[in-house]
Parts: sequence; structure tokens; C-alpha cells
Amino acid sequence: MLVDNLELIIFSILAFFMLGGAIVMLLSKQTIFSAFGFLITMIGLAGMFALLESRFLAVAQIMVSVGAVVVLSMLTILTVNAQEKNLPKEQFKTLWILFSLGLVSPFTFLLYKVLLTLPNHFAEMETLTAKVTGELLFSKWVLPFETLSILLLSAMLGAIIIAKNRSKGEQS
Amino acid sequence: MLNLIVILPFFSALLLALIYLSNPKQKRYQLYTTIGVGTILTITLFSLFILLEVVQNGKTLHTTLFTWLSLGELQIELAFRADKLSVVMISFITFIGSLIHIYAAGYMKDDTGYGKFFSYFNLFMGSMLLLVLANNPIIMFIGWELVGVSSYLLIGFYHKESANITAANKAFILNRVGDFGFIMGIALLFISLEGSGFSFEDIEANIFSIDSEKLSLIGILLFVGAMGKSAQIPLYVWLPDAMAGPTPVSALIHAATMVTAGVYMVSRYSFLYEQIPDVGVFIAYIGAFSALFAAIIASYQSDIKKILAYSTMSQLGYMFIAVGLGAYSSGIFHVFTHAFFKALLFMGAGAVIVALHHEQNIFKMGTLKTKLKLIYITMFIATLAISGIPPFAGFFSKDAILVTAFASEHYTLWAMGSLTAGLTAFYMFRLIFTVFHAQAKKEHSLQSLPKSMTYPLVVLAFGSSVAGFLGVNSAYGGDMLINSFLSLPDRVHPISHTTEYILGSLNVLLALGGMGLAYKLFAKNPKEPQESTIYKKIVINKFYIDEIYTVLIIKPLLLLSHFIADVLEKRVFDALIDTTVWLYLGASKQFIKLQNAKVRYYALYILSGLSFISLYLIFKLGVIS
Amino acid sequence: MSPDLFFLLASLLFSLGLVGVVSRRNLFVVYMSIELMLSSINLILATLSKLLGDGSGSVMALLLIAVIAAEAALFLAIIVHLYRENRTVDSDTFNDLSEVK
Repeated sequence: MLVDNLELIIFSILAFFMLGGAIVMLLSKQTIFSAFGFLITMIGLAGMFALLESRFLAVAQIMVSVGAVVVLSMLTILTVNAQEKNLPKEQFKTLWILFSLGLVSPFTFLLYKVLLTLPNHFAEMETLTAKVTGELLFSKWVLPFETLSILLLSAMLGAIIIAKNRSKGEQS
Repeated sequence: MLNLIVILPFFSALLLALIYLSNPKQKRYQLYTTIGVGTILTITLFSLFILLEVVQNGKTLHTTLFTWLSLGELQIELAFRADKLSVVMISFITFIGSLIHIYAAGYMKDDTGYGKFFSYFNLFMGSMLLLVLANNPIIMFIGWELVGVSSYLLIGFYHKESANITAANKAFILNRVGDFGFIMGIALLFISLEGSGFSFEDIEANIFSIDSEKLSLIGILLFVGAMGKSAQIPLYVWLPDAMAGPTPVSALIHAATMVTAGVYMVSRYSFLYEQIPDVGVFIAYIGAFSALFAAIIASYQSDIKKILAYSTMSQLGYMFIAVGLGAYSSGIFHVFTHAFFKALLFMGAGAVIVALHHEQNIFKMGTLKTKLKLIYITMFIATLAISGIPPFAGFFSKDAILVTAFASEHYTLWAMGSLTAGLTAFYMFRLIFTVFHAQAKKEHSLQSLPKSMTYPLVVLAFGSSVAGFLGVNSAYGGDMLINSFLSLPDRVHPISHTTEYILGSLNVLLALGGMGLAYKLFAKNPKEPQESTIYKKIVINKFYIDEIYTVLIIKPLLLLSHFIADVLEKRVFDALIDTTVWLYLGASKQFIKLQNAKVRYYALYILSGLSFISLYLIFKLGVIS
Repeated sequence: MSPDLFFLLASLLFSLGLVGVVSRRNLFVVYMSIELMLSSINLILATLSKLLGDGSGSVMALLLIAVIAAEAALFLAIIVHLYRENRTVDSDTFNDLSEVK
């Protein structure tokens, strides 16, 4: 009972921070605040993974999503350092958000309801440690894993090419 | 062999066309002549064989080339049949056709389009043979149309002058009017038969299942087609203008092919017209009016070819009197004899025209009696024949028709026919005397004529003299050979021999009267007709029929076209379409705002779609229950 | 502890991401919204992994994290490029294909 309740409490706190982070990201005018909101959400997600006993996934989330992706994003934001005047004005931002919230709600409802049709209890399973995940990754999932490496390589090349390709206007 | 008769001319037409097109500039006189004339001579031989076969066996020959259409109950086979009627037709068509071909080889010798001409000529022959030998109305109609097409090509052969093209168009369009009636007739006939076969035998067998009112309509519609092809009132105006073509073409159109198609068609449907004698009388009256009308006009023309053209129309009128009154054999007999002397007249006229360096006005000719002796003699024979002087061919055939008119108690028709006979003699001898006897206004330097242009005349002159003996009726000691051979459903009106003698001699007297009048007026010092009195003025201008047609049909049509083109199209239809275009443009300007290339708008559209699909799934399909 | 709560959270996060893509003009926020949507799918995958007692879901989520990383690299490169060209991160300014300006 206590364990269950503890889990629920942890979940509630994490969920609160995640949703809060997402809303902050959505609403804040300054890009960097958005990024902070996003960071909170990502960390919360790592916690959720841990709660779901996917330990390796949680660690990977912290290392890759938080440590690499979000930090890279923040770095970029700071590097770009867009001035106040360069940021979009977005006069009707609230209106847009409310309107699209209205539009998206049936979909959310549907998505949730569809997911509810799955069994309503967790199965008993061993904790997904690095060992278990690694075995699965290199036995059953080896082909997607290798394919992914090609994707990463091409993404890297693409990023380099885009970054290198200076516009004509800037050169002159 | 029957198939070959139809296929060979088409094949050689194609071959000639290909050779001609390979190098139009090159002169290949020998080659073209060999192919063009040789083919026709070959099929003449073939048709003689078939004639012999049919005469001996008395049976109808059938051949089927292939099934052309097979649509449910509609089975159209490209099939030919040689019964007695079509055998008679093809034998004289090919015979006279081949003579005209030989003549044309001389006449067209120096023309640059020699190969083209023979290609068209063979096509013309093939079309006519297809028409005659067809075993069902559809194939007959194809031949009918092909005759129209090839006549168009030939009339407009000298296409460098726009007047000739106009004449060709006129012929083609007026034939279209007739063909419209013809195809309507065929369609109505097909519907009325309710799918019980469509070959002539089947139609004949099932003709009684159609009620007479519908049958009358069919008969009249078919006759409208005949009016167009055979140049009867009111669709005759193309015939004089068709003289724009080379003279051999006129000879072929007037003697062997085309204009006889109408008479042949009515005879072919004789079983149909037998059921509706009232329509027959209507046909006969049309024929009689055409005959008289054309004869009056011919008496005041001065162009040699136009005189002959109107004379053809007049003679065709006789034929329609015959077929209208149910004397189909007499009609065909007159077609047969007419073919000989009309071909002869046209070829003689062509020879005169060539000799005089393309002079066509008879009043500028004269004293050619001694210079063109052979042509004079042969044309004189032909004139005797067409005027109905015994014992030449025309007498017997024309007499048979007039006797039929008298015996069937249609005295008006008979009177008109006899009057026309007198007029015929008058205008034909007027032509002969003016051209050959009268004093020339100036000396002519004559061009020598090739032998190929003169020898066919002799053959035809012989034919014009003796062809009539095939159909001598019993009053003159004959046994109506051609009538008993054709075995068409003729209506026989018994009449005493004495009456026949009286009628015959009356005709001869009338003809001689016309001849005498012509001699008196034109033999010594002919005068070109002047528009001195109102009557003459009207006749010389061909009763202003062309002008009346212009006012009644062409002008209103033009006005209507202008109205449609300038007012209806621009103000109404264009405006309507412009309004629609304007509306579309306006709408697209509104819609283009949606497509503003801003990513979030596009995302919004996707989201709305997603939203609506979700709502639909939730509420309409009840995914969540 | 029932999986329903995880599903609810994932649905909400996904929808918030969608709203962000639609309603914001700042390219960085649009990018982060897309990441958010992907991550919510990750959450569903991990939940399913536990729900079925099968590690494959987690492995899939792991692979998806790599995809997110690849995407991030490209996305940021594009944003930086666009900013260098136009001195703005407003998505509405990139409408070269439009008829109406």
C-alpha cells in the first residue's frame, strides 16, 4: 500500500512539473524561458521512465535528451541571442492557443479513450536494467539499431552541410 | 468474282493515289493509263461473265466479304448480291464506264493531275458498283455516300478556280440534304422491322408487317435521298453547276453513275413502293415537273454542257415518272438506253470543246459539220435517240414510259411527258444545228483529237442505235426482253395496240415538229437568246431558282448565323461563361488567402481535420461507448 | 498504480505539443513542441513496455531518443541557418511560396 501510494505521490509531483514545464514552454515570450520549461519536462520524463522500471531508458533520457538535446538547444538559443525586436510579436498568441486547445481537445479525448481500452493493470516484470535492455537491443532489435546509426550519420552530415552553406547575401 | 468487281476499283484508286503522291510532278502517262483503264476493263469483263451466268441460271448470286458490324440484333455484313436488276446495272455501268475511261485517257492527257484524276475516277466507279451490288441498305448507303464524296472531288477537280470549288460544295451540300432524308428513311425502316434481318431479302419478306402510313413516310424519305442524287425538283440546282468538272466527269456522272443511283434505288425498293402507290404518284409528278422544267430551261441555254445537263435532269424526270407509276423495268430500261446516248453526247461535246480550244458557247461555234465529221455523225445519232425517233434507242424506252402514263390514266403526266418529248427534240436539235450546221461567226483553228477520244463515240453510237431493241414492246413486234428478264414487280396496264401506235406516232410527230422548228430557227443563222421579254428573261435566268434559294434559305441562314455569332455567342453565352470565370476567380482569390505559405496555418488546417475526424469517430461511429 | 494515469499524462503532453506547433510563431518553440510530442510517445511506449511485461517497448523508446537527437541536430541547424539569412525566428516570415504577401 505504502509503495503504491509512494509511487502515486512521486507520479503526481512529476506530472505536475512536466505539465507545468510544458505550459511554461508554450506560453513564455522569451525563448530561453521556453527552453527551461522544456528542460523541466524532459527531466520529469526521465523520472517517469524510472517509475516505469525502465532504468536504462531513464538514464539515457537524462544523458541524451536532457544532457545533449536540451542543452544544445539552449546553447543555440543563447548563441543566436535573438533581440527583443527580432522575436515575433504574436499579438494574438493567447487567442490562438485557446482556439487550438479547443480544436485539439476531441483528439486528446479520443487518444486517451483509445489507450484506455488496453488492460488496466501492469504485468509483473523484472527491472529493465542496462543488461536486459542491452541483450534485447543486440538480439531482437539489432537491425533497427544499425539502421539508426545510418540515420544519425546522415543527420550529422546534413547538419554540417546546412550550417556550412552560408547565404550569398552574407558572403558579399 | 463478284467481290473483285467492287474491290478492284477501290484498290486501283488507292494504288494510283499512292503512286501519284510519291511524286506528283512526274509524268507517268503510260503507268496511270494502264492501271486506271486496265482495272475498269477487267471488271467490265468480270461483270459480263456474271451477266452471262445470271442470264443462264436465272439465279441470284450472293457473296459475303465479312461481317462488318455485329451489335446484338444488328448484323451488318459487307455482302454483295447480283440479282437481275443489279447485273443489268453493273454491266452497262462498267461498259460505259470503261469507254469513258478510255475517252478520259485522251481528254486528260496533258493535265498535270492525270494520276489523281484516274484515282478519283476509279474511286467513283468503285463507289457506284458498291452501291449497286450492296446486299443491305447500310452498305448501299456507304456506296451512296462514297459516290457523293468522289463526285465532290471530281467536280472540284480544277480546284484552282474558286467557282469550281463553289460548284463542288454546292453539289456536296445539296446531296447532304438528300442523304439526310435517305438515312432517316433507312433508320425508320430498321426500327419498323423490329430486328428481323436487314438484307434486301429479309426486308422484302417482312415488309407487310409495317403499317402503310409508316411505309409512306419511309418511301418519301428514301425518295428525298433520290431527289438529291438524281437531281429532281427541288434539289436539282447542283447538276448544272457540276459542269465545272472535266467533261469525262460529266459524262460519267450523267450517263453511268451517280444520277442513276436514285432511279436504281427506287427500283431496288420496288417491293416497298408497291405497297404505297400514292407515294409513287407523288414521285411521278415530281419527275414530270422536273422533266418539263428542265426542258424549258435547256431550250434557252447557250452553254453546250449546261444544255446537256438540263437534258439529263429532264430524262431523269422520265425515269421517275416510270418508277413512280410502278413501271420499274421501263425506268431501268430508260436508264440503260439513256446511259448510251447521254455518254455519247457528253463525250461528243467534250470533243468539240477540246477541238475549239475550250469554247463552250454554242453560238460561237458553227460549220463544224465537215470538219468534225465523225463527231457530227455520232452526235446526230445520239440526238435522234434522245429525241425519240425510231428505231433509235430512246424511242422505245421513252415510248414505254409515256404509254404507261397514258394507260394508268394519269393524263396530266402523259401530257407533260409528251410536251417534254417535243421540247427535248427542239433543244437537242437546236444544239446540233447551231454547232454543226450554222454559219460560223469566225474561222476556227481546230485542234486535232486523239483516237482514244473518237473511237468510243463510234461504239456508243452503235449502242445508241441498237440498245432499244432489247425492250421493244409487243405492239412493235418485240417481247419486252429486258422487262421479262428484270422480273421486277411491275404494274401492268393493258392497252390496245392501236392506242400504242397512236401514242407512238404522236410522239414521233412532236419530236419531228421540234426538230423542224429547231431547223427553221437555228440551222442558218442562229441568234443567241436575248432577254427581250419577261418570259424569256425568266427562262434564261433558270426561273431565278438559285436566287430564290438564296433569298429563302441562304440569306435567313446567314442572318441566323450572324445573329448567333455576334449576338447570341458574345452577349449571352460568352457573358455567361465570363460570369462563371469571374466567380471562380473571385472564389479563388478568397481561397488563396488560406494558402498563405505560413506553416502554422497549414498545421492549423491539419489540426482541424484531425479534430473533425475525432469528433466524427466519437459521436457518429461511437468508437467510445 | 494504474497505467491510465500515464496514458492521460501522455495524451495531455501530446496535445500541448500540438497546440504549440499550431499557435506559436517562434521557431524554437515550434521545435520544442515537436520534441515534446515525440517524448510523449516515448512515455506511452515505456508504459506499454511495463503493461505487457516486455522490454521491447523500452528498447523502442531508446531508439526513439536517438531519433530525437538526430532531429534536434537538423532542426537547430536549420533554425540557425534561417536566422542568419533573415535575422528572425518568426515562422510567418518564411512564406516565399505564397501568392499573397
